[in-house]
Amino acid sequence: MGSDEAYNFVFKVVLIGESGVGKSNLLSRFTKNEFNHDSRTTIGVEFSTRTVQLSGFTIKAQIWDTAGLERYRAITSAYYRGAVGALLVYDITKHLTYESVERWLKELYDHADPDIVVMLVGNKTDLESERSVPTEEAKDFAKKKDILFLETSALESTNVEAAFTNVLAEIHKKVRSKAVVRGSISAVSLNSHRAENAEEKKPCCRNI
Amino acid sequence: MAKTEQGNGLDLRSSTEKLTDNGKGGSYGSDPEVNGSGIPGESQVDKYGFTGGAQQNSPAEEVPIEVLRQREAKWLEMLNSWDKWMAKKHKKVKERCQKGIPPSLRGRTWLYLTGGKVKREQNQGKFQELDDEPGDPKWVDIIERDLHRQFPFHEMFAARGGHGQQDLFRVLKAYTLHRPEEGYCQAQAPIAAVLLMHMPAEDAFWVLVQICEKYLPGYYSTGLEAIQLDGEILYALLRRVSPVAHRHLKKHKLEPILYMTEWFMCAFSRTLPWASVLRVWDMFLCEGVKILFKVGLVLLKSMLGSQEKLKACQGLYETMERLRAIQPQYMQETFLVHEIIELPVSEKDIEKEHFAQLRRWKETHGDLHCKSPPRMHGAKAIMAAEPPSRQELRQRPTIIVESPLAPKTAGEQAEDTKGRRKTVQENGKETLLQPQQTDNLNPLSDSSLLLNHTNIPGSKESLSSAEHDTYL
Repeated sequence: MGSDEAYNFVFKVVLIGESGVGKSNLLSRFTKNEFNHDSRTTIGVEFSTRTVQLSGFTIKAQIWDTAGLERYRAITSAYYRGAVGALLVYDITKHLTYESVERWLKELYDHADPDIVVMLVGNKTDLESERSVPTEEAKDFAKKKDILFLETSALESTNVEAAFTNVLAEIHKKVRSKAVVRGSISAVSLNSHRAENAEEKKPCCRNI
Repeated sequence: MAKTEQGNGLDLRSSTEKLTDNGKGGSYGSDPEVNGSGIPGESQVDKYGFTGGAQQNSPAEEVPIEVLRQREAKWLEMLNSWDKWMAKKHKKVKERCQKGIPPSLRGRTWLYLTGGKVKREQNQGKFQELDDEPGDPKWVDIIERDLHRQFPFHEMFAARGGHGQQDLFRVLKAYTLHRPEEGYCQAQAPIAAVLLMHMPAEDAFWVLVQICEKYLPGYYSTGLEAIQLDGEILYALLRRVSPVAHRHLKKHKLEPILYMTEWFMCAFSRTLPWASVLRVWDMFLCEGVKILFKVGLVLLKSMLGSQEKLKACQGLYETMERLRAIQPQYMQETFLVHEIIELPVSEKDIEKEHFAQLRRWKETHGDLHCKSPPRMHGAKAIMAAEPPSRQELRQRPTIIVESPLAPKTAGEQAEDTKGRRKTVQENGKETLLQPQQTDNLNPLSDSSLLLNHTNIPGSKESLSSAEHDTYL
């Protein structure tokens, strides 16, 4: 399957955000063009891949998905390892899920590569009538935090492609501007000094 | 229960497809044309309640009906003197669980094995009390979001706001009230759902309590430390069971938490074909967590246990993919159960490794934040820790039928017999009928035969060495 395709890069991208915002459906929409109203709660790690063409390069996107519930954050370090991109998802109809974005960002920067490309994703635009997070507010927040921003609907397929491909393109830009370490299969690391296999214990991990 | 008779519920959709789909089935689930029933809006349901083979129905064992009836009779006897059997003949109980509990008695047996029955008796009215409370809005909100996401292709849980989802809500909410410091953890939902497929809400609640507190303490707590520790134990045990698999996982730095989380937290209910799930749970609820370890070890060994098999796993990601798409033959009921029984891993091995891993954990993470009580390795341990009274073990059917056919037999043993049913109006509500009871409704004459059998004190059956041969 995967190893038979020829590709230039493998980018590991993680989906994060509160439970029920639509991470799993964004994943299935992008990688399998499927949407399920009753998709199972994610427990542990789910993942899927899709290969895209970007500026003449073949890029294999390895998208990881996990449980959004608070207590699952205890097991995330393995999940973040080697991730070069992240989609931080909230539900535009549930303001609470937007309010925790700040916490998710902290979580992300505590565990992932500091150069990780982040996009804030407001999902469920198909439920416009129930919107509780104004687009402009989220857009401004994203700008302030220097992260990308898009609103999507996994149900209607709106902007899902764009969300992922934009992130991949940004990653690609960063990658090309730095020396990279990559094996034929391993995911790309953005930091040229950090070898893919190094497992540094960050001090923050001790404070769980 | 099945709407259509369909042999083993074999659906022609290939299992491998379902495997990669994670059983989601995408848009297939309720499409009648795909299911071939041709009746708009009606999809085929397998004997476990799943539509269209959604839970990978690989060929299950067919137990001949005479054998099933014989097993049922013996199980009824065991359940009637449960404390004696558990105290003196536990080995036999264990063996019978390994052979598979008869479907009609599964719910009841799980209730007894886990000590849920005793808990229910000791806490009469408690569940009702919790059920009546509104619950912490924070948990209520999260639980509600999950109700339609558990086994959506099972007829019991398919309807939004249906009885199945309602009961699931009641059970999970009650737990958050029962243990507010624990709250709700998403993996509890599939566990509760499996229980609800076999017993009413109150029973399911108490079994859930037992699973969360006795069998898998700390699994669903904040910090998820217990599951991480068990991941390390699993990995450590693998070294002896399959050095090849162990080495491979080590080489690619594939941490246990990346593959065993869903396996263990959901007790394999989301991984295996349904017939296998039930067999594993029969053993798990009897023998404890070591069964989960054994299943994990068997799967790892089966998929990664030889150089030949590892050819397809060049890296971490490829290995993860392999472990998420276990080949059906390794999950098949007969194979799996046999491998589990044969695998030489004991409670002692697990406890020893637990001790070692805990020490390692403390070195790198400091003390555990969530100090859970030590786990109980199965039904016997639970019973020994809190010996129940005879009264607590007595069958108390909530639905009793006075049949015009049967002679009035005095005494509780008569009430114990299935096949008596009347709808009891309790609080103006009809009590839920346990699905299994409907099967044994008619043959009252047969049940009086059973009565005669069970009436014999110190039944011959327990002493005779021919016993081994007579339980099929």
